[in-house]
Amino acid sequence: MGFRSHRLEPRKLLRFIFLCCLTAILQPSTASSGTAAAGDPSYLAELIERAITAHLADEREWRVLLHYRKNLWGGFSSMQDDPGFFMAADGKTNPQAELAATLTKFFSDELVGRSKQPAQCAFVARYHWLKDKLQFDDRRLPAQPCERFWRWFNEFNAESISVIFPTGFMNNPSSMFGHTFLRIDAKGQTPYTRILAYTINYAAEVPPDEGPAYAFKGIFGAYPGYFTTIPYYLKVQEYRDIENRDIWEYRLNLTEQQVRRLLMHTWEMGNAYFDYFFFDENCSFHILSLIEAAEPSIHLLDRFPFYTIPVDTVRLLAESGLVGEVVSRPSRSTLVRRKREAMTGEERVWLNRLIRDPAALRAERFRSFSIEQQAFVLETASDYLLMRGSGGPEGEPFREKNRSILAARSQLKVAPKEIPIEPYVKQPDLGHGTSRIGFGAGWRNDRAFEEINVRAAYQDLLDPDYGYTPNAQIEVMSFAVRHYHNQSQARLERFSPVNMISISPIDSLFMAPSWKLNLGMNTINLGSCQLCTNGYFNGGVGGAVETHLLGKQIFYAMGEVEADASKAYEDSYRIGGGGSVGMLTDITDRWKLVASTTYLQYPLGDKSHDWRWFVGQRFSLTTNLAFRIEYNHRSHDNDVLATLHMYF
Amino acid sequence: MIKRVLVISLALLFGLQAGFAMAAATGNPDTGPGCGLGKLAWQNYPHQKTIGVQVLEATTNGTFASNTFGISSGTSGCTNDGQFWAEQKVYAFAALNFDNLAQDMARGQGEHLTSLASLMGVPADQQPAFFAMTQERYAFFVNAGESSPSALVKALNDAAATQPKLTKVSLNK
Repeated sequence: MGFRSHRLEPRKLLRFIFLCCLTAILQPSTASSGTAAAGDPSYLAELIERAITAHLADEREWRVLLHYRKNLWGGFSSMQDDPGFFMAADGKTNPQAELAATLTKFFSDELVGRSKQPAQCAFVARYHWLKDKLQFDDRRLPAQPCERFWRWFNEFNAESISVIFPTGFMNNPSSMFGHTFLRIDAKGQTPYTRILAYTINYAAEVPPDEGPAYAFKGIFGAYPGYFTTIPYYLKVQEYRDIENRDIWEYRLNLTEQQVRRLLMHTWEMGNAYFDYFFFDENCSFHILSLIEAAEPSIHLLDRFPFYTIPVDTVRLLAESGLVGEVVSRPSRSTLVRRKREAMTGEERVWLNRLIRDPAALRAERFRSFSIEQQAFVLETASDYLLMRGSGGPEGEPFREKNRSILAARSQLKVAPKEIPIEPYVKQPDLGHGTSRIGFGAGWRNDRAFEEINVRAAYQDLLDPDYGYTPNAQIEVMSFAVRHYHNQSQARLERFSPVNMISISPIDSLFMAPSWKLNLGMNTINLGSCQLCTNGYFNGGVGGAVETHLLGKQIFYAMGEVEADASKAYEDSYRIGGGGSVGMLTDITDRWKLVASTTYLQYPLGDKSHDWRWFVGQRFSLTTNLAFRIEYNHRSHDNDVLATLHMYF
Repeated sequence: MIKRVLVISLALLFGLQAGFAMAAATGNPDTGPGCGLGKLAWQNYPHQKTIGVQVLEATTNGTFASNTFGISSGTSGCTNDGQFWAEQKVYAFAALNFDNLAQDMARGQGEHLTSLASLMGVPADQQPAFFAMTQERYAFFVNAGESSPSALVKALNDAAATQPKLTKVSLNK
């Protein structure tokens, strides 16, 4: 799913070949178009000579700071796309020349880069690394004061760095897998003032009103990505209050020196942009690059050659021993859910009444509750009204009601009731791996078969949902190859680039629709056409409810449309519509059951209809190992499959 | 640092407010997208119910974020390298978090209220009294906040000055 080869567009390729023809000898002259050097010019030659002798351009630190990665030809090229980031004309592909040119610029107070500063300040991490390695003599190479950098650096008053992970958000394709950014935790901050911290966020700059081209361009790197330092309270509003995503915060165990290096390199990133690739060089990837700058001996980026899923980067950091304290920040909707769960039946009735009409708080029955109870119901009502009122003018009626509720709450002089708020999405890095491979066997009608199935990412309704958004399915690039016993060759049984289902139980407070979208090919048996390839599109919308009869069940119903294309059909296609009903239930912590039935009528193309049944059960053996049995029925076609799934 | 913010905010409130009001009235050319929130005269920004959302929309689609919060993003003096100007911090926070602040004041505690108190320089040992005061006079403070962030911050400062337990705040410790 990650496409890297597009990076070698013809122009770049030509330039690359041209550069290969140049000698790899250091060429300070290629870059020395700057002003006359301050300091001692003979010292520059000496420093360059010592850098060559010490092979500094081959050191890991230099590669990390310049974002060099090995390319297909064994040389190096930087992922950085802003020419102002390099001091040498060929700096993007020539680490040696870049190092020499950088040293040259350190002797000059010429303003460089997009941030228009002397090179020592614009590239302050490079300066301090080289200063340390070559033991600069300040008399022969005077240090610039870099007031602008130090003012910025001191303002953070940084003590440590946290990785912040807002969990996935089904209703925006660019947020499905979640997001990661860094938070600069200041000295003296407490859990109650943490929102004042600045963050380091990497995001694509998308022009307003871009429309559907956004998705396509986002995948293929058409937008530049920049680093920004948005205050954490704005990010908390965005994810927790508006998009209702639980946030997980991972404190990194970095030393003061590492934090300092990370911030110095972040400052350099002000001169930089990367082409933003949704799947590989995305937010999580470049956030890792900053952590590598903090501690170059840790190799993080190498682990993500094709695509970078945010939770995998968090897991890698945890495995690398970099993660300390982990805390969750539940979304506004999670707060409302958990508080309501902690209520008595009567309190819930009053919660609903107050939300509909705050005047109900003057009712005698409500006044007869204890002050603590009244406060708890009013606070929960306020949480709910804030949740619905976040947004534009359409939120105003909710905000108006919230004013009355809060005015009443302020009259009650009691502290809020403390209840544990279990997040809706459990600690993401403890969930199963995001990729999956399965080995299975079964019967299709009277034919036995073996099957191997692979899924690049990420989660289906039967997979364990620890660490994932419950009742949400996002499958990207999944396929299955089968060998039937009476056939000489294996065949591609199923393939699907995208298969998504979002099931949101509806109740008196939460009313999101459920929906699904599935595109791909499968194998059908129809009349004389046995094991025929069929291309399909299926989409549906509906609703779901949650019940609690012996455990928890979710029932859903959806209206749907489907289009099929196969030589099995008359005119080779059929288009129709119908509906599905289904049920999901966790029988135990390890054992889950999903059952559904679908009826579809096809008035266009091959006029026909279809009844389908599905029953699947999954039993988890460990976090990354599960066994499942699935039964699929279509008209005159029965398929039973047992699979052992490994997540990685 | 906290002391400085408090000194500056008090100076602004009591001394320089007229000057800022004038700047806003004549239209500050730097306040449009492209120059940035960092320099926006937050304390006089009329409280709009949706300002937080507007800012978020602007920052999430990226068009505004790289101008406003971009790191060392070029024109020094315009964006302050992606950070808020010190004297604007408390107003920006009050303006951008008003809904959460109102909820915290009503229930007499919370991280948004604690954060505002810390930006205003209220010492930790006096914060419980400060919180109790915001709950006690909730309606008054919310009315002030609905007119402008500076009205809210001024109302909180004035009220603290008359509260015996909170005199240290008003004395500008």
